[in-house]
Amino acid sequence: MIGSVPATALAASPPVAESQLVIAPLLIVLVAAVGSLLFGRWTRARIGVSLLGGAAYAVAVAAIDWYIVLAPSAPGAATYQVGGWPAPFGITLVADGLSAFMLTMVAILGVASLVFSTRVLPEIDRRSYYFPLFHFLALGVTGAFLTGDLFNLFVWFEVMLMASYIFVAYYGGPQHTRAAFWYVALNLLASAVFLLAVGGIYATTGTLNMADLSRRLADPAAYGIDPRSVLGLYGLLLSVFAIKAGLVPFQFWIPTAYRAAPPQITALLAGATKKVGIYAIIRLSFTVFADAPVAVDLTVPGTGLAVAGNSPLPFVGAVLFVMAAASILVGGLGAVGRESIEGVLAYSSIGQVGFIAVPVAIAATTTSPELRQFGIVAALVYALNHTLAKGLLFLAVGAVRTATGTSSLSDLGGLAGRSPPLAISFFVGALALVGIPPLSGFFGKFLVFDVAARAEAPSVLALLLAGSLLTIAYATRTWNRSFWGARTAAVEEATTDSVQLAVLGVLAAAIIAVGVGFEPVYEFADAAAEAALDADAYVDAVDPADASDVDLEAGGEGGETGGEHE
Amino acid sequence: MTTVIMRTTARVIVPIILVVAVTLFVEGHNLPGGGFIGGVLTTTAFAVIYLAFGLDFLERGVLGRDVEPGKEPSRDRVVVAYRRLFEYGLAIAVLSGLVPLLFDRPFLTQTFVELEGVPIYDHVELASAVAFDLGVYCVVVGGLLTILSVVGAE
Repeated sequence: MIGSVPATALAASPPVAESQLVIAPLLIVLVAAVGSLLFGRWTRARIGVSLLGGAAYAVAVAAIDWYIVLAPSAPGAATYQVGGWPAPFGITLVADGLSAFMLTMVAILGVASLVFSTRVLPEIDRRSYYFPLFHFLALGVTGAFLTGDLFNLFVWFEVMLMASYIFVAYYGGPQHTRAAFWYVALNLLASAVFLLAVGGIYATTGTLNMADLSRRLADPAAYGIDPRSVLGLYGLLLSVFAIKAGLVPFQFWIPTAYRAAPPQITALLAGATKKVGIYAIIRLSFTVFADAPVAVDLTVPGTGLAVAGNSPLPFVGAVLFVMAAASILVGGLGAVGRESIEGVLAYSSIGQVGFIAVPVAIAATTTSPELRQFGIVAALVYALNHTLAKGLLFLAVGAVRTATGTSSLSDLGGLAGRSPPLAISFFVGALALVGIPPLSGFFGKFLVFDVAARAEAPSVLALLLAGSLLTIAYATRTWNRSFWGARTAAVEEATTDSVQLAVLGVLAAAIIAVGVGFEPVYEFADAAAEAALDADAYVDAVDPADASDVDLEAGGEGGETGGEHE
Repeated sequence: MTTVIMRTTARVIVPIILVVAVTLFVEGHNLPGGGFIGGVLTTTAFAVIYLAFGLDFLERGVLGRDVEPGKEPSRDRVVVAYRRLFEYGLAIAVLSGLVPLLFDRPFLTQTFVELEGVPIYDHVELASAVAFDLGVYCVVVGGLLTILSVVGAE
């Protein structure tokens, strides 16, 4: 996206130090959250601060993309030590290709959803805490992508969840309270498991800094670690991330929660917080735990299928593949029979995350480095497509609700003639889910199929094909029932909001732009995959000190150690 | 709960709780304690007052304001003040984290000065972390009291 700007103009060093760019998005969202809270009494000021924060966030993420990852002289990764405490003792923030790619997806969808929110909200509640919570949700997601510390990742998960709890219960009706209860109960359980695993990993390895963890696990004998117990603890973590990503068998909270939350927030839940689960799986599996020497030897009785290797990755791959396959089928079959647009989209999200997880699973089980990197690239491109397309579709649900007051398929019909711009945007989003060229979805799906073909796994290809057919089935059914056919009474009286339609149009244009100008997107995803796989570069970037090398007195002086990594 | 015993006990223990809360808050940056636990303890003092004297006591008895009977609890003036305390506390905490950036230090960097020869105390240690702690204290007190008074009224 930024590649079109003349490279010479931007190739100079960034306006602020790279390390300060790393924390910039976090601070911008934090200040926007506090600002919109303080100006809560004046609606216009609150919206103004929120939009300003969103714009500044987008600029900061674009600066990270260019100066840290994509520019010809870019370092590839930059770190920030919060409070001046050196790694591995302090909290490290790391922006590398993978973080930047994820942040870019969130920035595009987040700003779109923010602008959309300003047009929905006055009708719901003029004095609500909506905008501060929106920023805190974005803060949690951003922090999770940037942190280089396992416990800090837990904290950002909690920040993200606290905000999303309230959004799920936002409308306050019986079904919303019920959905929120489910959601809170499940996530409290997940948080407890997460904390347990983090505590166990700290007790086993003596560190929670991801780079330090990666270094120690690669050479466990030198640090007196038993890597086998770490594999079990990582299994616990994997289940937590699978809950966040909504993979089967942890998918059951998704339909109720997605239907209960306001649609523009559901767009973020599907587009951003779900990707945090995917990101955490990729980051921890490939960057942190990949090099731990653990002998894995799994055989599936009766089929002759076996995974083996001297790393946790085959285990991760096998587990992930089973969950992904089930997700594709459960999500696809569930989506076909839903009676509201957001119900279809919620089940579709379960299936689509399966499509993202399949190439990750192949990347984890393969022994070829090229295929491994290609698998991650395919997963990232598919994740980008899913964020854009599903975000667009959920926002379209919001627009349909604003216009007609309903999103139930039986009350809709003939929307295409009533509002062609809304119909075109929805159509583009639906086609992107199906994967029609030249949209972003085509490349996402093409790469996933290509990974399966290169892995020479015909059964996986068959599974992907079945999933794609189901996608076509539910996408066409939703389109036919709501946009074609005879106009219903609700559609006849519909009045659309021009700003909402403009946001949808911009997202639809982004989907087309990603598909048409796919080359730079692919390069970005390739850089992200390389960053995810290159554990040594990650460790070098963070450069955690050994406990014995550090003069703890220097750390105690607080500000004194701050200047050394600028 | 508003028995004579309860009210008499409340008169004695509320000041003690508040003093302990302030002590925990002041030494929290370096010793066990801090803004969070100090804030929770302060809220406990308020909870005791609410239990002993009723929800309107603060407005009517302490601040001397008139309270309309069937008002909406979340629009109560005390609750508005609690909410504002929460907002300002959050702002203080974030600003205290941002100040080091002006001095070209990382976000949340802390430092301290030691003052010698201060009357009565002689040796006083002033830490910048107290500003952040104050923010946390305000957030905890404001947030918990808002919940307590609104949910309590319902």
